[in-house]
Amino acid sequence: MALTPSTPRGDGATRLLWMAGFAALAFLVLLSRLYQLQVLRGEEYRVKAEENFVKELRVPADRGLVLDRNRRVLVDSRPSYDVVLIPYFCGKGCDEVVTRLATLLSFSFDEEERVREHLRTARGLVRFRPFTVKVDISRDELDVVEANRIELSGAVDVLPTPHRSYRHGIWASHLLGYMNEVGAEELVRLNAEIEKAGDDVQPYQARDFVGRRGLEKRYEKDLRGVDGIQRVVVDARGNAKRESDLIPESQRFEPSTPGNNLVLSIDWRLQEFAEKTFPATAGAVLALDARTGFLLALVDRPAVDPNKMAGRISRAELAAIRADPLQPELFRAIQQHYHPGSTFKVVTAIAALEEGVLRPGGTVYCPGRYTLGGHTWRCDKDSGHGQVDLEHALGASCDVFFYALSDRMGTDKIARWGSLLGLGKPTGLDLQGEIPGVMPDEAWHDAHQPGGHQHGMSLNISIGQGDVNVTPLQQLVLYGALATGKIWRPQAVLRIEDPKGDVLKEFAPDVRGTLPVKPETRDAVMKGLLAAVNQPFGTAYGMRMKDVVMAGKTGTAQVVKLGLKRLKASQVSYFQRDHAWFAAFAPAEDPEIVVVVLNEHSGFGSSNAAPTATAVVRKWLELKEEDARAREGVQRPAVSPPSAPPPPAPPPSPARAQKPARAGAAFTDGGRRGA
Amino acid sequence: MALDLSGLASLGAPRQRSVARFPWHVALLALSICAVGVWNLASASRSSHVDIWITQATWMGVGLVLALALVLVDYRLFRQGAWIFYGVVVVLLLVVLWKGRVIMGARRWISLGPVGFQPSELAKIAVILVLARWFSTDRESDPRRGPRGLAGIAIPAALVLVPALLVQRQPDLGTALITVAVGATMILFAGVRWKTLVVLGTAVILAAAAAWPHLKPYQRKRVETFLNPEGDVLGAGYHASQSMIAVGSGQGFGKGWGQGTQTLLSFLPEQHTDFIFSVWAEEHGFAGALVLLTLYFALVGSGVTIAMNARDRFGQFVAVGATSLVFWHAFVNMGMVTGVLPVVGVTLPLMSYGGTSVLVVFAALAMLASVGTKRFAN
Repeated sequence: MALTPSTPRGDGATRLLWMAGFAALAFLVLLSRLYQLQVLRGEEYRVKAEENFVKELRVPADRGLVLDRNRRVLVDSRPSYDVVLIPYFCGKGCDEVVTRLATLLSFSFDEEERVREHLRTARGLVRFRPFTVKVDISRDELDVVEANRIELSGAVDVLPTPHRSYRHGIWASHLLGYMNEVGAEELVRLNAEIEKAGDDVQPYQARDFVGRRGLEKRYEKDLRGVDGIQRVVVDARGNAKRESDLIPESQRFEPSTPGNNLVLSIDWRLQEFAEKTFPATAGAVLALDARTGFLLALVDRPAVDPNKMAGRISRAELAAIRADPLQPELFRAIQQHYHPGSTFKVVTAIAALEEGVLRPGGTVYCPGRYTLGGHTWRCDKDSGHGQVDLEHALGASCDVFFYALSDRMGTDKIARWGSLLGLGKPTGLDLQGEIPGVMPDEAWHDAHQPGGHQHGMSLNISIGQGDVNVTPLQQLVLYGALATGKIWRPQAVLRIEDPKGDVLKEFAPDVRGTLPVKPETRDAVMKGLLAAVNQPFGTAYGMRMKDVVMAGKTGTAQVVKLGLKRLKASQVSYFQRDHAWFAAFAPAEDPEIVVVVLNEHSGFGSSNAAPTATAVVRKWLELKEEDARAREGVQRPAVSPPSAPPPPAPPPSPARAQKPARAGAAFTDGGRRGA
Repeated sequence: MALDLSGLASLGAPRQRSVARFPWHVALLALSICAVGVWNLASASRSSHVDIWITQATWMGVGLVLALALVLVDYRLFRQGAWIFYGVVVVLLLVVLWKGRVIMGARRWISLGPVGFQPSELAKIAVILVLARWFSTDRESDPRRGPRGLAGIAIPAALVLVPALLVQRQPDLGTALITVAVGATMILFAGVRWKTLVVLGTAVILAAAAAWPHLKPYQRKRVETFLNPEGDVLGAGYHASQSMIAVGSGQGFGKGWGQGTQTLLSFLPEQHTDFIFSVWAEEHGFAGALVLLTLYFALVGSGVTIAMNARDRFGQFVAVGATSLVFWHAFVNMGMVTGVLPVVGVTLPLMSYGGTSVLVVFAALAMLASVGTKRFAN
């Protein structure tokens, strides 16, 4: 081994050995690291690699339908497409992508700003999450986005999302409610609740929609359904790949389970009619099946379009809604206080009769005013009603008669009977947010009024002014109790059905109590209510019907203290005008329907509320007849021509809520998506 | 494409002896790795549907021709040309900084007609040659001369650092580090005093601390990520964690050729180049990794043996330099892929895709073989 003599062979060899040793050590380090990764922790990494490429796509469950009592579809879901952006995939090019998107989808300034703000603020993991840029795009927009997919650098995706469709827009929207996207914090809270409850409920995910108000919220669990899963192979960019054989076939797809359907007690024909007939800007029309306590119609105005609230509303529109003095988001039927006005006189009458303050047939002289301790209370008729009994006093709505009664019995007795009749507490409608109203007694006044209780307050209360406050639904239950003797817990849902139409839960009529009065008392009050509609002196005499006897009571609730001069509604600014009430039931001898109409700030009950109520009653009777005829048609099919429209079905009584024969037909007719 | 060694006759040595002395095992090891590399690339390129393995095989053919040419030339010619070559490379590095092509934020390429090449790769060869030249002068080879002090290594260190810093300016941290590592190995081989080593070590640590603020943010992030890989899995740690998933999920015997999901679905960034080892490890498991590791180790071992038996000092230093080049590339690359070292752009010799890299490795191995062939002084 001859090296050049000048080479320091010894040292060189030693150093080379050292270096070889170092190399051996280095390779040993690599080898042990590989052993650790591949052999010791191999299984762990195998799982990680699998998680890498198996992407679980949600197959959203079809949310349950909302049907009316005749199985007409009120709310369903239709296919729609949302555009999402994943910031990570466009990186620095995002700005350009957004500009491009804004042109393609004609963004408003607001919309574009919202997206840009997200891009500015999104950090870390958030940049990998799809961010909803625009919901429910049109077919044309879908084509445009698809065509420009590549230019949008793969960061933009179009996700099919079933979109909730409220077929009749704002009609009954307070009752139906609406849905929108779950918020980030809410998501955490909801899932914590689900976990705590321990039920077998699927957790929510970002981009899920949840019921916000009304029935959508109350029956969220029933309507929701269970999402399915589709497992696909994706590459590092999240793009689905065709190499699906990496996932065992049995694990590729788990179908979704659709949500259950709600069948309401609402008869949409009546609702539709009431919506069209009711002239008010703000107010409510409520109709109750007197025999079961189920709602037949619930008009509530103003309202917002639930289709818009489900994500399609711009910030400006939302701000306008929130700023609207008419408060369109307020569910007036259960969430707003109103003075009942003269409709309350039935309570005063019952109290007086039951407490023995008024004997049957007792009369009061009405000179047009009532004086107590230096103060004068006016009757609604300046010239006075003369000598009046209860029938006349209720019929003609004489105030003095009731001033006199309350002067004799005081606030507490009225309050006691008001409470017994269900005022001052929620009616128990199974929806969130119902307020109790106020049925003030002396103690209440002492607690709430600056000067404490004064005797004069009972005079105001006796005619439904002062501090007595009710909701329209409370009025409905009260007059339902007068009509049938039963204090119903009002309900809006007849039953919950599974997607096949099998009944999962049937809601039975729920009586909370009986009218706690002597039969004579009820008869006396009933006479007065009949007089109001059917006697020439009655305030709603113009509303009488030929073939059916209706009983009712008008009310004109003062919003502000009366001035010296009486003014016509048109002479007063909107928010100072009186509320018009009408509460009625028919047929009087065996009541089937109770109707309450409230027309906010419209003036007199007789002219602005009673006509709607009467029309609704009349329509109901017509529908009843129509249904009866249709049933006969079913029994004699040979008579009806084959092209005849399918007989609309069931008997109006929800107590015997049968499944109509044409259920299946109505169901598919309902346009359930894809099924 | 067998080596035609008839040309060895031109060295004046009898032909038979030259053929016998040629280190066949080096060629065999290198070609084995080449074969594995092309086979592996064929799998790695499935997701991109471009048959880059053919390109790679072509480059290897070119490399083989180049290697043959270099083996045939008496390597003492390299000694004479070392300074010139070094000077040209430094000029090229300056040129590339001034007007090179910018690809992915770095200025590394020079266009030569239709082909582009990276002078930084040549820098490694230039450093090997110039240091071998430096340490083989009579003065430096004086056997009475003991281990070197600071003054003794100042000039060779500068010879390493000038091109290394120019490369780092591009910026190309990986190549700069390899250049420095190769240079340092050769200087250490020449002999350095323990005291000097301690002083230098301290200085390097201090310098690193001082240089930290001047690194590019992405370079800094890589080091930070290396120190805490779980910290930012989707950001800078993405490469590291995905390659570890790929390697680990290969388990004992791998998923099989063409079955690597990490590879197929592009979870591995730069899977053809810097991260090619993870493709191999994923599809062939620990067993496959062991085979490859053994090949590299055997190659390094052969290099050490050749250095041991070199007939002159220049050849010995060239052998040490070429061997350390292969070693550092292999070690740093596999260390990075397995998460033992931070992520720096270093290729795996003969496995990573890339023409320049293939040619440089072939050149280094050819010089090694050349030294090995001429073991005996005439």
